[in-house]
Amino acid sequence: MKQNTFYILAGIIGLIEVGAFWLSVRYMIPYLITVVFIVGVVLLYLAWRRISDRQVDERVVLINQKAGMATFMVFWVIFFAISLGSAVIGLGAPPLPHFPRPPADISGGINKSLKPFGDGPGILNESIKPPDDGLIRLGHFGYLQLALLFLMFFLYVGFRIYYARKYGEWENDEEQD
Amino acid sequence: MKNRIKVFRAMHDLTQDALAHELGVTRQTILAIEKGKYDPSLDLAFKIARYFKVSIEDVFTFEEIQ
Repeated sequence: MKQNTFYILAGIIGLIEVGAFWLSVRYMIPYLITVVFIVGVVLLYLAWRRISDRQVDERVVLINQKAGMATFMVFWVIFFAISLGSAVIGLGAPPLPHFPRPPADISGGINKSLKPFGDGPGILNESIKPPDDGLIRLGHFGYLQLALLFLMFFLYVGFRIYYARKYGEWENDEEQD
Repeated sequence: MKNRIKVFRAMHDLTQDALAHELGVTRQTILAIEKGKYDPSLDLAFKIARYFKVSIEDVFTFEEIQ
């Protein structure tokens, strides 16, 4: 396989990953993106090993290693700090077992709050189940994880640019076309 | 680390691209070494010296960083 074919394949897999993420969010199937992502990375690795005209350049390898290590070091500190905060929330929760509030209380409260006028019937049908409190809280935690993912990505890109500049990636001279 | 790759290239009438191709690295790596932005591995340093049929000390000179 040619190097350029690999790049095209990587682009296609990237698009599939985005589609899988959208489907996961749309239909609330968290395992879909998890499985598709791991399968995608494995496929990319197998394809990468089959590149026939791959050129291993030690300077590029060094740049990637340094950027990866710096990203890991910074991300590890931030992730550890946030995880400690999460642990505090977890440890501060009432001891197990948890007894959920009776559903009637929740639906009643939500229905009452959504009643627009007087004492008429609420907007919500009785058959509509109110969202689970815990699930909403977990959803908020998901935004934090999304922020961490973006942080990891931008840290790597930033360090990659820094080390690429340091090791002369964009240097030019009289032989430059 | 100082080096005389540019001099040896000129003596052998070689472009950076041609030398990079011979050594299996990118042209940007040869340029980075020549400009002192990147110190090559021992492996690559020996390859460069052997390619020009000189000793490694003829191509590279160690310099203390102050």
